[in-house]
Amino acid sequence: MSARPEPGGARPASRVAGFRTRLLVAMTAVTFAAAALVLYLAERRLAATAEQSFQLEFRSALAGLHEADRIRQAVMEGRCRELARRPRIHAALEDDAEDLLYPSAQDELADLIAPDSGGSTLRGVQFCRFLGRTGAPIRPGSSDSVGRLSPREEAALRVRALPARQEIGYIERDGGGIAQIILTPIISSDTGEVIAALVLGFDPLQLSLPDERGIRTGIWLGGRVHLSGGTLPVGGALAPAVNAALARPGPPAEASFRLSLSGEPRLIFCKSLNPDSAFPPAYEICVYSLAELSERQRHLRWEMLGAAAVVLLGAFGAGEVLSLRFSTPVEKLAVESERSARFSADASHQLKTPVAVLRAGLEELLAGEHFSPEECAQLSALVHQTYRLSSLIDDLLLLARMDAGRLKLERTPVELRDLIDACTDDFSAMPDPNMPQIETRLDGRLEVIGEKRYLAMILHNLLENGRKYNRPGGRIRIDAREDGRLVRLRVGNTGPGIPAEAQPQLFERFRRGRQGEAVPGYGLGLNLARDLARLHGGDLRLVGSEGDWTEFELTLQRAEGPAA
Amino acid sequence: MRGALAALLAGALAQAALAGAVVEGRVELPRTGPAPVLIQRYEVVSQGGVLSTLPPLAVVYLEGPFPARAAPPAATMAQKDLAFVPALLAIEAGTRVDFPNLDPTYHNVFSYSAAKRFDLGRYRSSERPIPSVLFDTPGLVTVHCDIHEHMRALILVLDTPYFTITRPDGSFRLAGLPPGHHVLKVWKDSRTTLTRPVDLADRASLRADFP
Repeated sequence: MSARPEPGGARPASRVAGFRTRLLVAMTAVTFAAAALVLYLAERRLAATAEQSFQLEFRSALAGLHEADRIRQAVMEGRCRELARRPRIHAALEDDAEDLLYPSAQDELADLIAPDSGGSTLRGVQFCRFLGRTGAPIRPGSSDSVGRLSPREEAALRVRALPARQEIGYIERDGGGIAQIILTPIISSDTGEVIAALVLGFDPLQLSLPDERGIRTGIWLGGRVHLSGGTLPVGGALAPAVNAALARPGPPAEASFRLSLSGEPRLIFCKSLNPDSAFPPAYEICVYSLAELSERQRHLRWEMLGAAAVVLLGAFGAGEVLSLRFSTPVEKLAVESERSARFSADASHQLKTPVAVLRAGLEELLAGEHFSPEECAQLSALVHQTYRLSSLIDDLLLLARMDAGRLKLERTPVELRDLIDACTDDFSAMPDPNMPQIETRLDGRLEVIGEKRYLAMILHNLLENGRKYNRPGGRIRIDAREDGRLVRLRVGNTGPGIPAEAQPQLFERFRRGRQGEAVPGYGLGLNLARDLARLHGGDLRLVGSEGDWTEFELTLQRAEGPAA
Repeated sequence: MRGALAALLAGALAQAALAGAVVEGRVELPRTGPAPVLIQRYEVVSQGGVLSTLPPLAVVYLEGPFPARAAPPAATMAQKDLAFVPALLAIEAGTRVDFPNLDPTYHNVFSYSAAKRFDLGRYRSSERPIPSVLFDTPGLVTVHCDIHEHMRALILVLDTPYFTITRPDGSFRLAGLPPGHHVLKVWKDSRTTLTRPVDLADRASLRADFP
């Protein structure tokens, strides 16, 4: 007679195939996700690095030009300081010879006068003016030699008070260009007072960067952007964007932002040219085309996508191989487990019938009256053995069902106190002259979730274990208490302890200690109890076995409900 | 003939100097710190736009309708040790002043003063003839060197042949003055000139102190 498969139980082959598919899908999904994440992060990082290196390149190009400008400006400033110290300038101002002021300045600046301009303009220097003590420009007799300025331009040179240090400023020329101005105070060598100021106007340095990058530079002054030559049609969008970036309270020394000009993304850099100056603030504006960067990033993205495809294909292949490799031992295990469970079930079923027949026969014989009392006692012992055999077969059948995952619990709230009372009552009624004394200490609300008969079986096995391995005159103590969402039940007994080396195998099937050889049993009780406890969402473990005391702890899920 | 005339004129002037009145006195000069002991150097300083020498010196001169000398003797203002020597020079209008360069470096003497604007350009000590300027208009002339901005000197061009520069203690002596009613003036700095009318008698000595 063979065991019938329980309804709902799938064939092992299809379950194993399902497992393999699930493993493949899971592994592919995990590898896919990991690869996608890594690629995404790598793409982000590479894009950021590309932009960073792009900006760095740009900034270093700018820095070189700024350095050139700084040196040029330092030279100009030095020249202005030198000029402001010239005895002729001082003599003209301090010896009431204002009429000789501009001719002297012209003489002093003679080397800056362009040889090809007929002496009417200054090389690099657009104009030269002196400011009087009030900060207003001193008009030259004839502006031919020191550069012409319109009244508006001259008014732009005026300062409220003569500063004690050099100041950099920018003014808008009538022709639409920009002039950089350096104001240098003229300090009396006797009194240390600022008696006048020299203002030189220069052509601002034209930042010439490689044009293929679409770089444009210019100067922002008074809400307008003056770009140097080039072909970039910036339209009217640049100035408002720069104004907005610089309109923040406490104008920044530097600002950068992105802006789309003529449908092309561009990076705008603004850098203060004259922080804390007596003149209105001016900013250097650099317009940098991001088209190349975008192109580079797009290229990078495609490369990454290609790499992603290769990596994902690889991940899929690796997932297939790995899932096959991992599933093979699992398949073997599953088949063996299934075979073992089926064997146990089949064997148990096959055994139950002959045992029942045997017991019936023995009981029938015992019912006869033609046996002596000794023969009757032997027959009774045989009947008793058939009961033990039945019990063993039941245990094996139960284990087989659990192994096969076919044991379904009917979970209901079970009052553990009642169960413990019933068990202890049963034990007390046993005709055992060495029955140990049973103590119970039950604390708190002990209602658990589970199936009553299996919970009773666990308790019975634990108590039976405590009884069998006890010493004469010994005792069993049952402690139970609630602990959060669990109920902890400890069963301890006196008697020879379990040797330390035997403890790890304590819960294995058919494993019995040396002291167990004299004790009836098959080494299934603790294993069955632990498997049942785990099926109930709890556990069974050995707390300790030292000296005369061995103690196990059973944990079970406490039933939900109001606290007692 | 011309030499004899010059000798005659010189003799007459010497006679007048010997025979003229004498004014002695002392000008109270501003107190300054102790002056260098070995080399007494004077420099021109400007305080609040007022030019004077340091240590202070004053020019004492007699003003009146005196006939101008035909050719006042030439004066000299040298450039030595990167300074003008003397730092204060008093001359009669019409005097030619030589500006010899006694330094082993270039100098460039110029003035933007209204009384005399000139620019001798850059020259070295070997420059010959020694660059000179004729000062024909009375007034104060500030002399600069265009190469050495600290170098400055004052030339007081006077419309009188009777003048002297005080000693460092402020004492002065003007001799050979023509008798009569005149005005004695003391130039202390570019803004301060003290005035005092004097009646001078021939061969008489007058004490005139200027507080």
